[in-house]
Amino acid sequence: MTRSLNPTLITLAALAMAGAALSAPAVKPKNPYGESPEAVAAGRALFNKTCTGCHGPDGSDGDRAPSLNANRRYFRLSEAAIFDAIKNGIPGSPMPGSPFAETEVWKIVAFIRNIRATASDNNVPGDVDNGMKVFAGQAGCSGCHMIRGQGGKFGPDLSSVGAQLTLQKLSDSLTTELPISPGFRPVRVTTQAATMIDGVVRNEDAFSLQILDRKGKLHLLDKQEIRSIEYGTRSPMPRNIDKVLSSKDFHDLVAMLSRQARNKARIEQQGENEVGR
Amino acid sequence: MRTNKRFAALFLAVTLSAQVTDKNLLEANASNWLHYNGSYDSRRHSPLNQVNLATVNRLVPKWIFRVPNASRLQAVPIVVDGVMYVTQPNEVYALDARTGRKIWDYQRIPRREKGPNRGVAVWGDKVYFTTPDAFLVALNATTGNVIWETKIAEASDGYWSPAAPMVVKGKVLAGIAPGDHGLNGFLDAYDAVTGERLWRFHSIPKPGEPGNETWAGDSWKHAGGNTWLTGSYDPELDLLYWGIGNPAPDFNGDVRKGDNLYTECVVALDLDTGKLKWYFQFTPHDTMDWDAVEIPVLVDAPFQGKMRKLMAHADRNGFYYLLDRVTGKFLAGAPFVKQLNWASGLTPEGRPILVPGIEPSLKGTKVCPAAIGAANWMSPAYSPDTGLFYVVAQEGCGMAYKSTEEFRPGGFQYRATGDVNLKDDSWKVYVRALDLSTGKLKWEFERIGSTSFGGGLLSTAGGLLFSGEVNGQFVALDAKTGKAVWNFNTGQPISAQPITFTVRGKQHVAIAAGSDVISFGLLEANRPPGESVVRGLSKDAKGTR
Repeated sequence: MTRSLNPTLITLAALAMAGAALSAPAVKPKNPYGESPEAVAAGRALFNKTCTGCHGPDGSDGDRAPSLNANRRYFRLSEAAIFDAIKNGIPGSPMPGSPFAETEVWKIVAFIRNIRATASDNNVPGDVDNGMKVFAGQAGCSGCHMIRGQGGKFGPDLSSVGAQLTLQKLSDSLTTELPISPGFRPVRVTTQAATMIDGVVRNEDAFSLQILDRKGKLHLLDKQEIRSIEYGTRSPMPRNIDKVLSSKDFHDLVAMLSRQARNKARIEQQGENEVGR
Repeated sequence: MRTNKRFAALFLAVTLSAQVTDKNLLEANASNWLHYNGSYDSRRHSPLNQVNLATVNRLVPKWIFRVPNASRLQAVPIVVDGVMYVTQPNEVYALDARTGRKIWDYQRIPRREKGPNRGVAVWGDKVYFTTPDAFLVALNATTGNVIWETKIAEASDGYWSPAAPMVVKGKVLAGIAPGDHGLNGFLDAYDAVTGERLWRFHSIPKPGEPGNETWAGDSWKHAGGNTWLTGSYDPELDLLYWGIGNPAPDFNGDVRKGDNLYTECVVALDLDTGKLKWYFQFTPHDTMDWDAVEIPVLVDAPFQGKMRKLMAHADRNGFYYLLDRVTGKFLAGAPFVKQLNWASGLTPEGRPILVPGIEPSLKGTKVCPAAIGAANWMSPAYSPDTGLFYVVAQEGCGMAYKSTEEFRPGGFQYRATGDVNLKDDSWKVYVRALDLSTGKLKWEFERIGSTSFGGGLLSTAGGLLFSGEVNGQFVALDAKTGKAVWNFNTGQPISAQPITFTVRGKQHVAIAAGSDVISFGLLEANRPPGESVVRGLSKDAKGTR
């Protein structure tokens, strides 16, 4: 991994960018600084001098533009896409192009990538095959969760979890009580016909309720036909995975989950969306 | 107690096993809408009759679902036991069909902005759809989890996939687009369980294969022939019927002398092998981009005194065709538009009798119909009750030009120019009812104010024909007479086909209009004043949050 500035690479990147301006890019520009900590620090300084008016300090809390390190879905993930947004702005949005030299833009790219890195960017060490065995075996994850078409339906699909969460958040979700994700609030309903349904609320309004039960069946109910509703206050997700597994198995599980990035290969191949949503 | 029993029965009705069997797909029970065109025969005729000539005046919107960021939906909703599946490019939504409330959604990442998307197919516990990056994706019907995804073709070559797939006996049939980039088309069958490709029918025969001689020189290499709509299936013959798109370059045929098989054909394919059983070409050596992808409608009816297995098809070239679907033999044909100047009629074999000189030229030639066609993706309908074939017909001409253009790899247009729509006063859109056997016009209803197609048709046993217009009007016509008996202004251009289904025993009619899916049902008797619509909860609910 190149961690120091390489003038040849910068030239190549500049050439690639020039090409990109003329036609569909044949070669994606790469950040000449890679993930260099110096570049990240320099990028942070530049960012906080220039971008905070909209995006907030360290990109954390924008009044006029999206936070850049929130736990949400981003549409510009690659170095090239972030570079393009900074350099040229985002047409149709208030995001302007920047007057910075390209070398400076790359430093800001390094900083934004750094605050946003997901678990899958971390190359977490561990025995991935064993992690998958643990997932399907003693940890019991696959009873509720699916990875690439295998597993249960009750909990969120984890086929992309490594690209959605930071490594810290991924690890926390196995060990720490966290707020319940939308669509997964536990509920127990008794119908007017005295049938009890245990499940999670996929959706609800004042008049109807859509429940997924523990067997993976959907129940689509009008409020009229419900006698009582009790909402759970805690996620059905066990948060003691690190306690029930050996340290090795836990780390292998995390290593495996961090590599679940279903869309990553296609993003790398196809590039990203042209416009954020 | 009575009330409780009723609730229990209702409750069972929506406790979903989410299993769609081969038998379900074959029978296409009217309570569900399981296929893009309602049934394997693509008649778009429903036996439901709660909404009928006498009750349609009580048809009112029941709910609206806005598809985020959509503008001009072309999706046909699919309904399975109270769950509706709606798509736009890159996205699938599962909705509670009584309320329009979302159950789950699937978002494809990264997004590729190629549209439209015309809907899903269902089988077992899965939902299948194709993507702008030319994948076939299988989702779990209950959660939207991805079960598998298979690449159909290379997006970087320029391919994408808009059509709703069709599932027959565990095979997912998926087509491909575009037709105007010189990319050769095909129809694929995939194993519905594993996603493995089982066969591919190539629309353009390779050297040594029958039909390749209909392409001059190397022109077969960048020849088009795509499959961007859904076909039909006859379970007795075990044959698929699929429409094939235009040849490339679209408007200059000089570089591809010959009939250019199997572009502008309907092909009959063996379900198990994908082998060609027969073909019929509507427009040999087309130079007007008249894709023959319009829906093949399968009807068993008497023809000249004998019961026949028929296929009816209103082609983009302006002619209506009736074929024997066992053999592909041409039985009858007639123009279904008045503005048709490129052919003076059809031979006894169904081949057009060309009018010399009516084709794209360097200086421009007026050709009718225009390239957008007399028919297009708007699904037709057939009613066994009236014996009529219903089609959305566009009257209009284009000034058609040709040029010289080289094929460029990477997904560029390869059209060699096109036409300019001559949108004068004569440019009009109609719903037309044709006699099945002869194609003779029985009645017509003008879509007044429409200068482009709009949406397709739905026939019901209630004696109604539903029709969505590009000016936003959703209309019910008397299927016998063509008289308008109901309308609702959706306020958005309609470009999709309507459907009907029941949920909890009540008939709904739904259509995508602009960015929204709107579901209609009959207005019910007044609720007693003051009674809460959340009755159970308002009295006894112990809701805690």
